[in-house]
Amino acid sequence: MVESGLEHQIFGPGDVLAHATPDVLANHLPPELLSKILAASLKTGSMTPEHVLETVTPQLLAQHLPHEVLWACIVAAAARAGVTAPVNS
Amino acid sequence: MNLKGFFVAALSSALEQGMATCDDLVRHVTPEVLATHLPRPLWARLLTACLGASRVDAQLVVETIGIPNLCEHVPTPIMWACLEEIGVRSIGGTYVPKTSTASLVTAPPTPGKPAVPPIPPKPPKTPAAPLSITAPPEVNPPSVAATQPSPIVGAPEIPSPNDMANLFNEEDRPTGPANRTRTTTSQRFRASSTGIGRLANSSRRPQASAQATPPEDPAQGTGRTRRAATESEYEVVTNVSGSNDDWKSALAVEDEQLVDWANSEETVTGSNSSPDDPRKR
Repeated sequence: MVESGLEHQIFGPGDVLAHATPDVLANHLPPELLSKILAASLKTGSMTPEHVLETVTPQLLAQHLPHEVLWACIVAAAARAGVTAPVNS
Repeated sequence: MNLKGFFVAALSSALEQGMATCDDLVRHVTPEVLATHLPRPLWARLLTACLGASRVDAQLVVETIGIPNLCEHVPTPIMWACLEEIGVRSIGGTYVPKTSTASLVTAPPTPGKPAVPPIPPKPPKTPAAPLSITAPPEVNPPSVAATQPSPIVGAPEIPSPNDMANLFNEEDRPTGPANRTRTTTSQRFRASSTGIGRLANSSRRPQASAQATPPEDPAQGTGRTRRAATESEYEVVTNVSGSNDDWKSALAVEDEQLVDWANSEETVTGSNSSPDDPRKR
């Protein structure tokens, strides 16, 4: 779902990292991934959500992060798109 | 022995003085090392800083984590390797990275064999050995000689009470260095305590400490009257500004009272009522 949402631009990498905060990433990602993120950032000279998601793919996110976090990201994107609006009746 | 404190001071000083750069640190404290040894809260801080920074470089990493945290969590062999490189380079030598340091990066996390890394510090011990060899011959003979003659010296010091007067005189006499140090320390404490000590550094304190004041008190009775006069002057100035006519009419009366009041300063507190009653009357 996360990968599909990114592909179809339902939400972007910034939206993902708005929920998968640095605190969440630091507490749930394995050291290898943290090392890759930092190494890639030092190599490119910047750390952007796009770069982070290039290293930590949606599959890895789903593998290591709590699913509540990813689901909250999807729900927020749906709310922004107005998908959940008519449900209020 | 506080190795971490030493590393913090040495690396911080090296960075401040330009002997080392953050790249030197990150060359040893690699992202892998950080990922293995750095606590997750610090990782969260680092990720936050990196995501919010326009540029991610070694300086950002080092400044975000901090030298103390690096030295606290990164194994000491790695920090030593970094410091060794900086030191060798500052001397002008060429740092040859040891293969063991690379293995240490991965070794400390999983096995508890950091005891092997301390072996590198042994090379400094070999140069230290000749230094210690030179030092002991100087230290030991005097120490042994000092222990043996000390009772001998103590014996003559016991009969010395006859010479105690001479000793006191000798202490009062030149023995320059000791006296000089004493004077300097006393002035430092006084100067640091209050600004009043500036005025009373040399002249006033000797007067007070010499205990010559009790004999000087009766002789300096006039000085006290002067102080009282100054205090009264301040009061008169403020009162005159208020109303001149009242004071003119009352000056003659107060002059007489001032004379009596000045002569009986010490009794003023005890006999406030007796002189006040005639004044009021």
